[in-house]
Amino acid sequence: MIFFLLCFEFAKIGFFSLGGGYATLPFLYHMSEVYNWFSPQELSQMLAISSITPGPVGLNVATFAGFKTAGILGSIIATMSIMLPSLFMILIISKVLKKVKDSPVLNSIMYALRPATAAMLACVAFRLFCDSIILKNDFSGFSFLDTKGFLLLIILFIVSLKIKKDPLIYLAFGAIAGILLHFNHILAL
Amino acid sequence: MKVKLSELFFVCLKIGTLLLGGGYVIVPLLISEFTQKRNWLTREEVIDFYAMGQCVPGIIAPNTIMFAGYKLRGTIGAFCALIGLTLAPFVTILLVASFIGIIAKSVIMNDIFWGVNVAIIILIFLTVKEVWGVSIVDKITFLIFIAAFLMCVFGISPALIILLAALFGVLRAKLKQQRSEHR
Repeated sequence: MIFFLLCFEFAKIGFFSLGGGYATLPFLYHMSEVYNWFSPQELSQMLAISSITPGPVGLNVATFAGFKTAGILGSIIATMSIMLPSLFMILIISKVLKKVKDSPVLNSIMYALRPATAAMLACVAFRLFCDSIILKNDFSGFSFLDTKGFLLLIILFIVSLKIKKDPLIYLAFGAIAGILLHFNHILAL
Repeated sequence: MKVKLSELFFVCLKIGTLLLGGGYVIVPLLISEFTQKRNWLTREEVIDFYAMGQCVPGIIAPNTIMFAGYKLRGTIGAFCALIGLTLAPFVTILLVASFIGIIAKSVIMNDIFWGVNVAIIILIFLTVKEVWGVSIVDKITFLIFIAAFLMCVFGISPALIILLAALFGVLRAKLKQQRSEHR
């Protein structure tokens, strides 16, 4: 029975959350209150971990909740259920789009959508920059620059101008620099 | 030329493994793997799929890659791309679920996350630079970019921004049609 419930609840999230991984969060917090599958504290921990493990947050939390509730089978069911509604919708939309390809209206929609999408990506970069480079001091209200972060950003920026490489290089470089720039943490171990 | 399903699967598996820090990283990864290395999709198509992925309910990264998979190999391609993308995160979480307490408290993990976060800023910046040429083609698209950026900074939901842009696109098409009929 628990499997049907998992399937139903996560399919509901998949169907109703619009606008990305974080849109699933309100649903998940609600779920933690209604069912005893995972506690809100566990959900918060899960979020922190999702940001360092691969994969979108919503998908990761579904896997985690399914696993906590009903083991590996539960995690498979939860992960598939959250994706199934969008899979069906995308199949239908893609079929329709194939037929109306090259319609002037569709082209015009895409003409307007592309800059909007680019702007939203730029905004993500801007937000991340504010969150991780400009740190807010809670006591005085002043903001200050995270010098190490800024330094790393400048280095990566210069590297990106010189060579064009796989995204993997940047991620790995960031991870290693993260450990090296905080070497006092390793010394403290 | 037909794209091999096994190759599609393994490329998506790689993308799934590298998908750190949030769904939007899918764009640089798709451009790198699908456009630059394999010529499967154009930059425009990647951006279009990402835009469409945000309009469909669900999670953006899988949505985007399902559109891409469908474009390459139809229904089976969409399914294959989805499974490929999901597999690595899925296995990671199963492993992590057992050690969640230890990992959440680890300082080293936080340091790694800190560095990856900075790298992601650059990655997204590069992506914007990359798609600038194909998306900002004239004054109107530049204005749309500025407007959408401001709306996004002030916390307006992405779904609404996309809806407004699509609406603008429809109106523009209708206006053009009317004008050409008048002539």
